[in-house]
Amino acid sequence: MVLLLLFITLIFPPRVQAYLDPGTGSYITQLLIGSLVGGLYLIKVYFSKIVAFIKSLLQKLSRREKPSS
Amino acid sequence: MYYHKGSVYRQVHPEYATVFSRIEKAGFYQHLIDEGWLISYQKVSKKSAFDHRATLVLKVKPIPFLSYPYEWSFSQLKDAALFTLKLQKLALTHDFSLKDASAYNIQFLEGKPILIDLLSFEEYRVDAPWVAYRQFCEHFLGPLLLTSYTDLRLHKLLRTHLDGLPLDLVSHLLPKKTYLNFAIAMHVHFHARQQQQFGARHHADRHYRLSKLSFMALLDSLESPITKLTAPKQPTEWGEYYTFTNYSPKAFAAKKKIITQYLRQSKPRTVWDLGGNTGEFSHLASNQGIFTVSFDTDPRAVEINYLMVKEKNEKHLLPLLMDLTNPSPDLGWALTERQSLIQRGPAELTMVLALIHHLAISQNVPFEKIANFLARLSRHLIIEFVPKADSQVQKLLATREDIFTDYHQDHFEKAFHHYFRILEKDRLGFGSQRSLYLMKRK
Repeated sequence: MVLLLLFITLIFPPRVQAYLDPGTGSYITQLLIGSLVGGLYLIKVYFSKIVAFIKSLLQKLSRREKPSS
Repeated sequence: MYYHKGSVYRQVHPEYATVFSRIEKAGFYQHLIDEGWLISYQKVSKKSAFDHRATLVLKVKPIPFLSYPYEWSFSQLKDAALFTLKLQKLALTHDFSLKDASAYNIQFLEGKPILIDLLSFEEYRVDAPWVAYRQFCEHFLGPLLLTSYTDLRLHKLLRTHLDGLPLDLVSHLLPKKTYLNFAIAMHVHFHARQQQQFGARHHADRHYRLSKLSFMALLDSLESPITKLTAPKQPTEWGEYYTFTNYSPKAFAAKKKIITQYLRQSKPRTVWDLGGNTGEFSHLASNQGIFTVSFDTDPRAVEINYLMVKEKNEKHLLPLLMDLTNPSPDLGWALTERQSLIQRGPAELTMVLALIHHLAISQNVPFEKIANFLARLSRHLIIEFVPKADSQVQKLLATREDIFTDYHQDHFEKAFHHYFRILEKDRLGFGSQRSLYLMKRK
């Protein structure tokens, strides 16, 4: 729903002002993006850590199996 | 940054000196220098200061050739963008942050991007947003998206917009399908709208908070789409030039042999290959350890050249975009911020191979003017004369009236003789009527 509302606001760009300080808009944009993707980023970081852990575990296991084979 | 007795200096003012010392004491600068990510420097006495405001004076390692984003290929700009994000991520883990994300702070040294601004970092303030976010989007993300999604030639907008491309312009020029891409929709379209909406209001007393996790997520949301971007595969004039050359492998080998001989004879330390295409002949110089800039007007050719430099880890070759009929001028405040091609010269040797007919016939520039311009660019010159009988010249004449009565070898030599001494002259042979010359500026 949030994304849909955002999308609707994007479709209709406003008229350009004659003199602008675009700093505030940039801050608001990054706060919104940061909050939207923060959770996903956390999952991504932990997921890559879990994948790395499983990979190293599998490597260890395969190394142990090699001498006996 | 300023020049003093041929060296490059940077002075630190009192308001930044404490921050600089803290970052230095934390070992962060040294770490970046050791990795080759930050230009090295040494502290020198205040005798070399630019003015009385200097607290610290730094002598900076010089860059052999300063290049600008409007002279970079797609992948050079992309690598500079990803490098900036990598630096910012690293800085955050050390509790520092980039306060500038200008593409002009990045240069290419030994084939890789490097940060040249020693004063770009500040201490990270807990939960503070990224002050350079907008600049990053305007200097890197916007131009990359436009060239990737809309047209490779839009890269030229960087020359007219020295402080990056305004996001409302980028938003306007991007295809509508990009609204469906979350990262582009947010970082460009939504961002542009927010700038316009909030720009006219005053919000100075507001405190915006962005947690470090969200900050890292923001950087990741910029990095992921940029990593996936590719240069569009639109055909350009010269992208496949070497597959359509009109001379035999033997003539091609002879050309390489003569050029190598000329390079040995003139012993240059810097070479500019004008019209270097994908760098076939530039390598003859760079492989000898000579610092070589390979210019071409075709973005695809420069892109191919740069990707090869990356793949082979070449340290002495810098491919750049340059239209010789409209080369980079002096730009910016008081015309001193960005140097013209001529300001950055002269090169010790310039190579002008298979180019004269394009300048003289396609662009209708008289030999005298070409010779005059080349004399301003270089001390030595390796130039190839392509006669009218050559099939490449005939191709150029096929669609235009032959008004070029002066286009013959005698006139070429006479015109160049005003500015250069002809040291060597060799006919290519093996079925080719072309000639190569080694000349020295008078």
